[in-house]
Amino acid sequence: MLELIDIHKHFGPVRANDGVTMRVEAGTIHGLLGENGAGKSTLMKVLAGFISADSGEILLGGEPLEVSNPKESVTAGIGLLHQDPLLCLPFSVLENFMLGRPESFVLDPDTARTELEDLAARFDFQFLADATARSLTVGERQQLEILRLLSLGVRVLILDEPTTAISATQRALLFATLRKLAEEGMTVIFVSHKLEEIDEICDTATVLRAGQVTGEVVLPVSSSELVSLMFGKAIIPEERTDVDLGEPVVDLRNITAIERLVRLQDVSLTARAGEVIGLAGLAGSGQQTMLKVCAGQRKPDAGTVVVHGEDVTRSSYNHHMGIGVHWLPADRLGEGLVEGLSVTEHFALAGDTPQGFVVDWAGAGEEAATKISHFSVKGTTESTPESLSGGNQQRLLLAMMPDHVELLLMEHPTRGLDIESAEWVWHQILERRNDGTAIVFSSADLDELLRYSDRILVFFAGRVLRELVAADADAEELGYLIGGKERE
Amino acid sequence: MKVSNGRTWRRWAVLLVAFALIGAACSDDGDSGDTTAAPDDSTETTAAVSEDPLKFGMILVGPRDDRGYSQAHFEGGEYVEAKLGAEMIVVDSLNPADKPETTVEQVVADMIDQGAQLVIATSDDMKDGIELSAAANTDVPMIWVSGDSAWVDGEAYRDDLTNLGNVFGRMEFGKMIAGCAAALTTETGQIGYLGPLINDETRRLVASAYLGARHCWEQEGNSADDLEFTVTWIGFWFQIPGVTLDPTQVVNEFYDGGVDVILSGIDTTEAIVRGGQRAEAGESVWAIPYDFEGACAEAESICLGVPYFNWGPSYLGIAESVADGSFTAEFQWLGPDWADINDKDTSTIGWITGDAVAADDVEKLDAFIAGLADGSINPWTGPLNFQDGSPFLADGEVASDLQIWYLDQLLEGIDGASSS
Amino acid sequence: MSGASQRSGIQAMVIAVAGATMIAALLLWALGANPLEAFKLLFEGSFGSMSKLSATLLVWVPLVIASASLVITYSTGLWNIGVEGQIIMGAIFATWAARTIPGPGWVVMLAGIILGIVGGMLWALLAGVLKTHGGVNEIFGGLGLYFVALGLTTYLVIGPWSREGVASTSGTDLFDADVWFPRIGSLDVSWLSLLLAIIAIGGVYFVMRGTMFGLKLKSVGNNMASSARLGIPSNRYMLGAFAVAGGLAGLAGTTQAMAFHHKLVPSVSGGFGFLGILVVLLAGFRAAPVAPLALFFAALSVGASQLELRLDLDSSVGGVIQGTLVLFVMLATGWQRRRAENRAAAEAGGSN
Repeated sequence: MLELIDIHKHFGPVRANDGVTMRVEAGTIHGLLGENGAGKSTLMKVLAGFISADSGEILLGGEPLEVSNPKESVTAGIGLLHQDPLLCLPFSVLENFMLGRPESFVLDPDTARTELEDLAARFDFQFLADATARSLTVGERQQLEILRLLSLGVRVLILDEPTTAISATQRALLFATLRKLAEEGMTVIFVSHKLEEIDEICDTATVLRAGQVTGEVVLPVSSSELVSLMFGKAIIPEERTDVDLGEPVVDLRNITAIERLVRLQDVSLTARAGEVIGLAGLAGSGQQTMLKVCAGQRKPDAGTVVVHGEDVTRSSYNHHMGIGVHWLPADRLGEGLVEGLSVTEHFALAGDTPQGFVVDWAGAGEEAATKISHFSVKGTTESTPESLSGGNQQRLLLAMMPDHVELLLMEHPTRGLDIESAEWVWHQILERRNDGTAIVFSSADLDELLRYSDRILVFFAGRVLRELVAADADAEELGYLIGGKERE
Repeated sequence: MKVSNGRTWRRWAVLLVAFALIGAACSDDGDSGDTTAAPDDSTETTAAVSEDPLKFGMILVGPRDDRGYSQAHFEGGEYVEAKLGAEMIVVDSLNPADKPETTVEQVVADMIDQGAQLVIATSDDMKDGIELSAAANTDVPMIWVSGDSAWVDGEAYRDDLTNLGNVFGRMEFGKMIAGCAAALTTETGQIGYLGPLINDETRRLVASAYLGARHCWEQEGNSADDLEFTVTWIGFWFQIPGVTLDPTQVVNEFYDGGVDVILSGIDTTEAIVRGGQRAEAGESVWAIPYDFEGACAEAESICLGVPYFNWGPSYLGIAESVADGSFTAEFQWLGPDWADINDKDTSTIGWITGDAVAADDVEKLDAFIAGLADGSINPWTGPLNFQDGSPFLADGEVASDLQIWYLDQLLEGIDGASSS
Repeated sequence: MSGASQRSGIQAMVIAVAGATMIAALLLWALGANPLEAFKLLFEGSFGSMSKLSATLLVWVPLVIASASLVITYSTGLWNIGVEGQIIMGAIFATWAARTIPGPGWVVMLAGIILGIVGGMLWALLAGVLKTHGGVNEIFGGLGLYFVALGLTTYLVIGPWSREGVASTSGTDLFDADVWFPRIGSLDVSWLSLLLAIIAIGGVYFVMRGTMFGLKLKSVGNNMASSARLGIPSNRYMLGAFAVAGGLAGLAGTTQAMAFHHKLVPSVSGGFGFLGILVVLLAGFRAAPVAPLALFFAALSVGASQLELRLDLDSSVGGVIQGTLVLFVMLATGWQRRRAENRAAAEAGGSN
């Protein structure tokens, strides 16, 4: 039995946790649900010893838990699994497994290897002890981290948004593992903002909103109930509206682009003004490469790219930008925004304020202030992107979009966003669509693809397996196709 | 003259610290401690003996404990302290690599501020600085060691600098003795000279070694034509990777090519070290190091001896002249005290015969030294030709100091470059 | 928020300086010196008189220019370890001007300044092209080119440009006195060098703060991929950073040759490029703190010679004090930054 009693944690005026009480029975999987900023991560960081609470008490098996750092917390039996576990990448799997063990100074690789292999076999994890951590997928890194925490003897396992970056297969394996662990008496806390996951895996759940507990539920319960607990109101998805399609904006013919892991072969695509095209497929099936070719970020090995009748196959990315092609990458901090630069600096670089030799700080600052208030970015003009939440980063990216965009290309536009932010983002995108912008986006979210696309191209192994009219398709069919199978 | 043997570790320490900090700055937990190199030079202070002791400044180009050129000067200064009760102010490693922030002029000014009545700049490198300082402080006696600015007949005489004297040792004698020892010992008749860079000083030293060798070679009844004497210039006083030749490799090539005695003219010990290793492997090879009295210790069994400087007596004389007010800016080129060339109180250069010289050769070597001493032997006597065949000295003509000091070409019989 | 972080920054700095001073005092005490006297000597030896101040400024000039150069490259995310080599090339080019260009002194000085800048720029661009087009990390490329430049000076000094008869580390012949940078009265330091140093650091401050070029350099330095998405060609801006930084380093070399040594010597760069790395690290890669920090470092180097003269300590003690201080400041700022990060991370806590 794990008990968190009346936990308070304030950051300045922000009450991240405002008297949270949560009880979890051993041997159960307990969900912690809430929108972005509800205080989930803060609570889990308190539990795992990363930060200390202002007040409150934690009891594990009835004993008060006093930890001041993550190491002590692991020793006490509590392990936190990060979204993307921070492994030491140049090290081997085995070496990472051995890190942090309370072992003597001399390492004993043989014992550790046996232990690793036994544990891996128990959960059907397949990786080579001598492979480098770099070669593992995010899902495999999680698996390794779970094994490492188990070998350290944790009794409470916290998973913070574990499914964000892993494949469906790995997700299934992860869930199977969690069930097995729970059966063996492990306490599992599953943090997520995805209703369906909570519903699928958890026995019980606590819902947080604005730092307070709004509900404790025993699953299953209806989605609408969870949503109203999370948001305080029910969210109604935007109704589908179709606009009249205009002239073709972009025409990609027989594109072939060979990369190390992805072989995009002979794919064609035409998008017309006001059209929304969804690209579906498992990660690495070619849809990312297709978007990059379209954006001018990568020159195709064969085929042509025509934008508004102009052959831009060999043109630079900056030329594409000049003719109204806009690209929003999935990795918002890695490829979209520049960490360390303020919002104002972003607008000075990319905004509509004209650029001279000297920076027009006043103009850029004004533009930044206007745009962030218009796009409800929770931050100031001096904020840096890394200090913003994922949703606000995406809002900032949208705010930075030039006024005039002919073709908008997006990778995973709502990945990692809570429902409310995702709705908001799509609202902005569809306004652009209504103004005649052609939109091509990739997504792993079947609902998103079905709800917003006019047409869906399903990629499999570098080719388009099928083109669907979204209005006529359903999630099940799409799911089969993504897996490379026609429905039986 | 000499420079510090590459003690640029300070710069590397800075770079190392920088890298360590880069590492610390990049890593997540920036609390990893790093240590900087700490100096382990022990320091000594000397107490004044008399009531109003003479203070003098000593500027060294290398570390005071370099077991070579700079240490010899430092010990010369200590000798003055001991004999005169004087007080020495030392600044060592003064060169642009080790002390980029300090100039000779600044150091001299500081020393004078501190009461120095005499300043000795011990390196050829300090020419510009000591001349500027002498011009700026005409009332303070100064010495530029190895220079020629006070030589009335010299090529670079500065009659305006009446407070700047020169002193140097006649290492030519040491090199002639070394050459003789080499000639007496060689079995192949091939002698190698490991030269630093080419200038007036190094040319006259190589020529001296050759003349000494040729003399003793002929005394043994051999023909001068059968003596092979080769100099290879590595390009600097010590190895600079990528810039100079590798001295160890030069030594190996000498020995591989039939040379069995190598005279070293560079700051570092490659010749004797490598020779010692090859001798242990059974080869009959010998070497003659340079500059430091104890240099034979590297490999006693193949060491034919070592010529060295002993600055104490000359510095003492200068210091006394400053103390009693009789100092004049003189050019002094001081030879050994022939009564005992290893007398620490009188001889400016010395020679220690090594263990590897055969007993009967020791007698011959001593005879050669005695001949040099009484003037009955002077290898710098004509007929001598320059390397290009043009005449240097007519039959019976004895080289003047000016001819030796400013020797601008090697001599006939020496293989190797005369200029770079 | 920024006021608070500035306050805690100053707090960390004070703690660091106090800590370093304690360690330095202990070290001096262990070496048998009176720490108070040593500190007094350090101060008097660097600021105690006009001539001492002049000696300090003489060192400050190349150090501050080299640091200005490094601010540019660091902002662009480049570890321009090759700055030493670029200083040397600047000095070589300036020396060439001083030795061969005829005409009145000011013409030669101007030529020396321009050629010095060109020399450093070329050397830096070489490292830059090796990086952008050859895939050679600028640390290794720069280090390699540094050794080439070092070899080249040594070759020139004991070879083609050697003095009549006597080749040695003393360097080339002194330049004609009318091409020495004009001095302030009878002091060693030149007003022209000081002017150039102030222009260099002021210019870099302005470029990084007020120009699109500077902002784009910063953007490329912080995130190349995102910058590319924003339409900033990273290779071109990296080369631009190398060119500007190399030009500045070359200028530092010019002052070394024409205002300090008045000739070319093998170690003409004086290690000021490497020292500049420390200055810029301490300055947090910003231009504003560089000038006072460089002054402090220059004073410490120059003042340290008094320790040897007066207390007979090894003058490298000054370097050790310097290193201790840098270490403490880095630790303190790192510790402070980590605290701030933890806080920021926790504040952003809820957003998964």
